[in-house]
Amino acid sequence: MQELTVSSDTPGERLFVLGNEAIARGAIEAGVQVAAAYPGTPSSEILETLASVAKELDIYVEWSVNEKVAFEVALAASICGLRAMASMKHVGVNVAHDPLMTASYIGAKGGLVLVSADDPGAWSSQNEQDNRYIALQGYIPVLEPSSVQEAKDMMADAFKLSEEFKHLFMLRSVTRIGHARGDIVLGEISKERRKGQFKKDRTWLVYTPAGARRNRPLMLERFEAIKKAVNTLPYNQLRLADSAKLGIIACGLSYSYALEAVKWLEIEDRVSILKIGTPHPLPEELVIRLLKSVGEILVVEELDPFVELQVKAIAGEHNIPVRIHGKDLVPRIGELSTRAVTEAIARLTGSKPPVDFARLDKLEQEVAPLLPWRPPTLCPGCPHRASFHAITMAARRVARDYGKDVEPIYPSDIGCYTLGTNPPLEAVDTCICMGGGFGIANGLAHVVDAPIITHLGDSTFFHAGIPPLINAVYNKAKITMVILDNSATAMTGFQPHPGTGYTASGEEAVSLKPEDVARACGVKFVEVVDPFDLKTATDTIEKALRFDGPAVIVCRRLCAIIDQREKRKRKEEVVPYFVDQDKCNIKCNACIKLLGCPAIIKQEDKTIIDSSLCTGCGVCAQVCPYKAILLR
Amino acid sequence: MIKEFNILITGVGGQGVILMSELLGRAAVKDGLRVRGSEILGMAVRGGSVTSIVRLGDEVYGPLIPMGKCDVLIGMEPSEALRNITYLSRSSLAIVNTAVTIPFTVSIGESKYPSLEEILKKLGEAAGKVITLDANQIAQEAGSLLATNLVMLGALFGTKKLPIGIETIKESIQVRFPAKTAPVNIKAFDLGYQACQQALK
Repeated sequence: MQELTVSSDTPGERLFVLGNEAIARGAIEAGVQVAAAYPGTPSSEILETLASVAKELDIYVEWSVNEKVAFEVALAASICGLRAMASMKHVGVNVAHDPLMTASYIGAKGGLVLVSADDPGAWSSQNEQDNRYIALQGYIPVLEPSSVQEAKDMMADAFKLSEEFKHLFMLRSVTRIGHARGDIVLGEISKERRKGQFKKDRTWLVYTPAGARRNRPLMLERFEAIKKAVNTLPYNQLRLADSAKLGIIACGLSYSYALEAVKWLEIEDRVSILKIGTPHPLPEELVIRLLKSVGEILVVEELDPFVELQVKAIAGEHNIPVRIHGKDLVPRIGELSTRAVTEAIARLTGSKPPVDFARLDKLEQEVAPLLPWRPPTLCPGCPHRASFHAITMAARRVARDYGKDVEPIYPSDIGCYTLGTNPPLEAVDTCICMGGGFGIANGLAHVVDAPIITHLGDSTFFHAGIPPLINAVYNKAKITMVILDNSATAMTGFQPHPGTGYTASGEEAVSLKPEDVARACGVKFVEVVDPFDLKTATDTIEKALRFDGPAVIVCRRLCAIIDQREKRKRKEEVVPYFVDQDKCNIKCNACIKLLGCPAIIKQEDKTIIDSSLCTGCGVCAQVCPYKAILLR
Repeated sequence: MIKEFNILITGVGGQGVILMSELLGRAAVKDGLRVRGSEILGMAVRGGSVTSIVRLGDEVYGPLIPMGKCDVLIGMEPSEALRNITYLSRSSLAIVNTAVTIPFTVSIGESKYPSLEEILKKLGEAAGKVITLDANQIAQEAGSLLATNLVMLGALFGTKKLPIGIETIKESIQVRFPAKTAPVNIKAFDLGYQACQQALK
């Protein structure tokens, strides 16, 4: 029997998938023809999955240079009548925000779906923003799944709804949907393939002030129609229990926690539940029915009180005397859990939680001091570690010329290299947004008197690093901009980008070099170095820092994970280094204190290199003052 | 029909924690079970703590195991097992690989690693039963340290508590690995299974 995959056209069969694969499958079932994205956790696997079946299913798939372009690519396809989607992490939507706010005026011809992968708990993000508010601002209807199965079903339906109402839809996923796993029942795959047709229509597509004024009322009409329709969508479900005093309104994933909590507390017959699959617009009729049937309401949703505020407004507007709880009992910070929801419900119903949470909290506190700190760290052999060593050495040398207590400033960015903030490297002073390091450096240059050396990765450079680089040239910001070029979007899983030489579907493409871009933008000091050659790298960075004007350094070395994979493929032997115990001064610890490589391990009476972890990069051998680290 | 069976697998990035839950999930679906689960990891880089959850059964809704409701905890690394102690109750079973992975923070003096005795004592107080095995050693006997996760997966089946057929999981392993490495992984699975049976005697 053939193994099932996300492209199997076998309706009714069950497949075990990652939530993001389920979202991709939904799009496949809907016959999506164009999909664009920029990688970002927890969204990346959606496009990766589509890319893996792009040829087989005739889908145009691209990794765009950033989320703005990704959304515009999808929008254009929709305008031409094709079903199209863009997927991105929550903060990626900020980058796409500009076209998004006008896209709702345009609406959709071919079904258009934006997948926003929010990250409650900020597991791999710089903030916990709740993108339902972006949808609110842009009159974009939101579908929010409660399970992996529903993520698939909603995604497929989103395209149909988008065409039915001629409006774009947002599927709001969260980490615990996209990175959840579960079994899904497959639906039929649409084989329909449309040919794109651009029909000139300036009344619809040219957004001059007149265009905006003309289309805004049309947009509001579409939205009103959707507002009525959501009351009968299967994703919103009201289950009234006779004699229930408490009504629970649970949105998206929170519904699964609420269901479990109610079962756990054994009060299924004592509460009414409204499952919300469309937090925007809310199914107002269902909300009113619930509000009128109970004395108290608990709104359960992750992050901000988005549904709660709307429910309170509805209660006020309709004069319904009901007490509405939400963020007074349900945490606003981080992910929810069955426990958090159980406790909130127990407070209102007076039921006793089945588990003594206080005892478990005490146990957790007791155990905490025993646990070693195990943060994610740059891999053994990661070129960034060497780059950071070179950057900080060079910058400290130069800082002395600025004054006795002057410290260099290291604005950084979003990527693996953000991990360089931890000891012992401490080479990251800011991390705000994509391209933000270069931008912050621009500002610092005009207000502080210290060496400013900022860095970002190759993928981030193409994404948002070029405008601030041009800005530095134009506005004469004396900063050193380092591109840590490991030829990969490593943090999110090695997706290709304009520097890698191939596309999402594996086709050959140009391989843009950041140094060429920098020179073309007018930077007068541009050098490429190999970070594993510490001395040359450090000396070159020092020269850049002393250069009178903006300077660019490209630290080029392949990502250690890819390098190791390729070596295994080529059957090339990796020769690890070892510590010659006769030469090593046990009190020195320079290798550990300067680099913090996970392969170097301090034991009671000696320092050793774990040969199973060492990649043979040789950087530690270069920093050892006793020349005690040698090749085996 | 089973109502709810909760498995928590925890370890260090690079130990193959996620792969174990993929294998379990696929096998469970083949055996007609409903599966939900999730993985908990920080930024997706090697070396950090990784936890993966597999929940089987018809009355499972959420992707995470509520505190105190874990049936079997698989600790690929002792201190990571300890980190998840609040999922355990007196009816839980913990299977712990005794091979430690010292984080770099210990080497640079930013934190301390507890003694194995202390870890096992704490886990013993929280769980109904704790089984220990040196899965790294067993994996090497099977032919590759990389198969440590398969040793632990074998040990999980060795408990005979799982509602998934042993032939089904082996089929999932065969399908998942290339023909060249599948035998090592099957051997690691078998040795883990036996080690668990031995420990339970």
